[in-house]
Amino acid sequence: MPDVLSAPLVVEFPFTRSLGPVQSAFLTGLRERVLLGVRTNDGRTLVPPVEYDPVTAEEIRDLVEVAPTGTVTTWAWNHAPRRGQPLDTPFAWVLVRLDGADTALLHALDAPGPDAVHTGMRVRVRWAAERSGAITDIACFEPYDGEAARPTGHSGAFADAVSGVVVPARLDYTYSPGRAQSDYIRALAERRTVGERCPSCRKVYVPPRGACPTCGVATAEHVEVGPRGTVTTFCIVNIKAKNLDIEVPYVYAHIALDGADLALHARIGGIPYDQVRMGLRVEPVWTEGTRHPDHYRPTGEPDAAYDTYKELL
Amino acid sequence: MTSEEAPGPRDIAVVAFAQTDHRRSTAESSEVEMLMPVLHDVLDRTGLRTSDIGFTCSGSSDYLAGRAFSFTLALDGVGAWPPISESHVEMDGAWALYEAWTKLLTGDADTALVYSYGKCSPGSVRDVLTRQLDPYYVAPLWPDAIALAALQAQALIDAGHTDEPALAAVAARSRSDAAANPHAQLAGRVPQGDYVVRPLRTGDCPPVGDGAAAVILAAGERARRLCERPAWIRGIDHRIEAHGLGVRDLTDSPSTRLAAERAGAFERPVDTAELHAPFSAQEVVLRRALRLDDTVRVNPSGGALAANPVMAAGLVRIGEAAARIHRGASDRALAHATSGPCLQQNLVAVLEGDPR
Ligand SMILES: [Zn+2]
Repeated sequence: MPDVLSAPLVVEFPFTRSLGPVQSAFLTGLRERVLLGVRTNDGRTLVPPVEYDPVTAEEIRDLVEVAPTGTVTTWAWNHAPRRGQPLDTPFAWVLVRLDGADTALLHALDAPGPDAVHTGMRVRVRWAAERSGAITDIACFEPYDGEAARPTGHSGAFADAVSGVVVPARLDYTYSPGRAQSDYIRALAERRTVGERCPSCRKVYVPPRGACPTCGVATAEHVEVGPRGTVTTFCIVNIKAKNLDIEVPYVYAHIALDGADLALHARIGGIPYDQVRMGLRVEPVWTEGTRHPDHYRPTGEPDAAYDTYKELL
Repeated sequence: MTSEEAPGPRDIAVVAFAQTDHRRSTAESSEVEMLMPVLHDVLDRTGLRTSDIGFTCSGSSDYLAGRAFSFTLALDGVGAWPPISESHVEMDGAWALYEAWTKLLTGDADTALVYSYGKCSPGSVRDVLTRQLDPYYVAPLWPDAIALAALQAQALIDAGHTDEPALAAVAARSRSDAAANPHAQLAGRVPQGDYVVRPLRTGDCPPVGDGAAAVILAAGERARRLCERPAWIRGIDHRIEAHGLGVRDLTDSPSTRLAAERAGAFERPVDTAELHAPFSAQEVVLRRALRLDDTVRVNPSGGALAANPVMAAGLVRIGEAAARIHRGASDRALAHATSGPCLQQNLVAVLEGDPR
């Protein structure tokens, strides 16, 4: 196996979601240390509550308070907690049917060890110190051997109900670009642009992805292209991108490198933005410490004739 | 069209199946580089070229490798230019096959290429799968895929449907059968190991790996010309259960049973069942839901416990069942695919070969 390039890749995003009336009441209730379920038309109480009956799909809105105590319906011992999970010490995942509810809620149970957990055991909610209207307002459950707690008779109406949740998510990867793109990136490190030729239609793809999208066959033959090329089409960027230190307006262009059958895209510099045109001949400008051309600038050659690049538009 | 002229449903068959060797990592290949040999393989088995295919449908998830729009890049391996009739589902390829089957039923196409791939190696699939959960009440707790499967396993143990030795036996039988499957990732004698999330041990969990699979469907006479013994799809159906884990009875799979009923699985006994049960305990649930007794050969390929390329493992079940019919090792087989936590969504297909 050839040397494989790889790099860490972090995908991080906050999911911002609005809540329906039932979800809003439930999560606002958690903030206020009140547990709410929703009653279905056949008289069952669902906790956590949903907006529509999971069996009949009817809209359900009848809120009913349940107790912060309940019974474990199944469990699983997690000896190695993972990032983002409710506790950072070993704990049991549990489904808990709260007193007054007919369905079970997923959460964590803080217990000394698996021998201290069993289906049917009694537990109660441990509230988080700081609460915002989220499922994590329940810090976890804890073993409990007292009486079932009594609901307070809350109506489910709140003065300042939460209307949405923001759920941050992060996933970590070690990304490898594969054979063709690794070769391309290695050549770039030597300031060369190397594409691959399709064995069937003979087209040269830059950057190469390992397959000819027309023929559906593997490409392998390396072909060095450029460094000069022709602007086939372009646009003028007028909005400054976040974290990008480039003054607007600037030109972003499709550039067909000499010898390539597919245009790549890059920024055009060294010329006022309003003088860039189709057919402009350009060459790459490398800067110290970068792994790809910083931008392309005019070569000063006469413009390419339209017929020479019209197939690459 | 008058009722007299209305044609009956078309007979549609799986006529070819191909898959990669499933491996812990394919870091040396991009998605399309991993997939392309399988596409060529499945086309070669029928002599068809891309331009002969009426409809192409794929299944994959960008979250697995963290690469946006990887499915559009994967299309390069098909040769999708000039544009082809094509579709994609962000699901296991079994559901892509369902879409293709529907397309062929309408008569819009006579042949279909169905493929799917999963590259689990770049990320942590345990954590990636938490992102498919209820975003309000469940996903913020990051319950990983093994934790949820463990809750289901404990519920089964509590209900008296299985115990740890029985689960170990499912795992051992799967890996032992996989020794005859050259594509399997985990085969032979594999220790049950320690608890990952109790009661599930390493051996109860699927291997994490990369792989791809492809199937060709054809209708009627076209199928007979492309394959000596087509695997006719007698029925196929998929059903889903409530997304709230605490609403469901985790010891049962009513959606599997209903899908099987609609697919005609209970009309006559099957001789083979390829079940998509990534965790040992899930085979226990599925056997009960599908009323499979000891006369049925379950997962002769080794199943998902031997290779679990996520998004392809369900399509592999259909492909493996069809391949057994192709080579005369089965006359009537059931194939099952699952999606979501604790067997939330289930697809059942019934395949038959012509009488011998
Ligand atoms: Zn080509």
